[in-house]
Amino acid sequence: MIFVTDYMILAVLLFSIGIVGVVSRRNIIVLYMSIELMLNAINLIFVALSRQFEQLDTQIAALMIIAIAAAEAALFLAVIVLLFRNRRSLDANVFTLLGQREQPKNDK
Amino acid sequence: MLVELIFIALSLIALISALGMISFHQPINSVLSFIVTLLSIAGLFALLSSSFIFIVQVIIYAGAIMSLILFVIMFLNIKEKNIPNEPKKALWISGSLIAITPFTLLLVNALKTLPQKEATIINGFGSIEAVGRELFSKWVLPFEMISILLLIALLGAIVLAKKEQNI
Repeated sequence: MIFVTDYMILAVLLFSIGIVGVVSRRNIIVLYMSIELMLNAINLIFVALSRQFEQLDTQIAALMIIAIAAAEAALFLAVIVLLFRNRRSLDANVFTLLGQREQPKNDK
Repeated sequence: MLVELIFIALSLIALISALGMISFHQPINSVLSFIVTLLSIAGLFALLSSSFIFIVQVIIYAGAIMSLILFVIMFLNIKEKNIPNEPKKALWISGSLIAITPFTLLLVNALKTLPQKEATIINGFGSIEAVGRELFSKWVLPFEMISILLLIALLGAIVLAKKEQNI
């Protein structure tokens, strides 16, 4: 027998995997997809709550999150194209324009 | 019985492909693995009797956003020397998985105290008609604000990706 809370537990596991991806990887495309994975886990929790209380408001909230994720995808991909055109790299450690005064050496 | 089997299969596929997404070296493999995760999450939405969100997830997330990312990756023409080489990747991933485990266990135990309700499928609960009535009666103002947000994101993407900029 499957309960609604099982879906929420799965969503929590997916959210943790997303946090692990953000913390441990340096490839900016993988970072972006980890953020998307966290958004999807939150969506799953919203839809499970909608099933739990049999109300449609949280499904509308999930729709709003999908629209915001689409806007975020457009901006993030534009930033990736811009950064890749200027630095020729996908490494998150290379993009330190605002953080440090001089350009650090790439530790390859 | 069938619903349990489908739930277990979909959740295992989602977890395994999410782990693959954060551990592949090539970004294109990560994107393909993440599409599998999104499709299995869409199947979970269908099991939660919300058919409209299921359609939106398949068409917009797995269809539009992910194919946009695939298009950008192929357009950038990424070579091996452009990808960051991460020698301690497995150590980082396993270490942060261990570090995140207490947080996850806390949340799982907190969720287990919620009232248990069996997730049977209700006919017509999350259908297009029901969601549309809710969206255009109670949620009209957020809906219009989302359209303005999408317009601003469109303008921002055009301004950012223009040719003559130097960083």
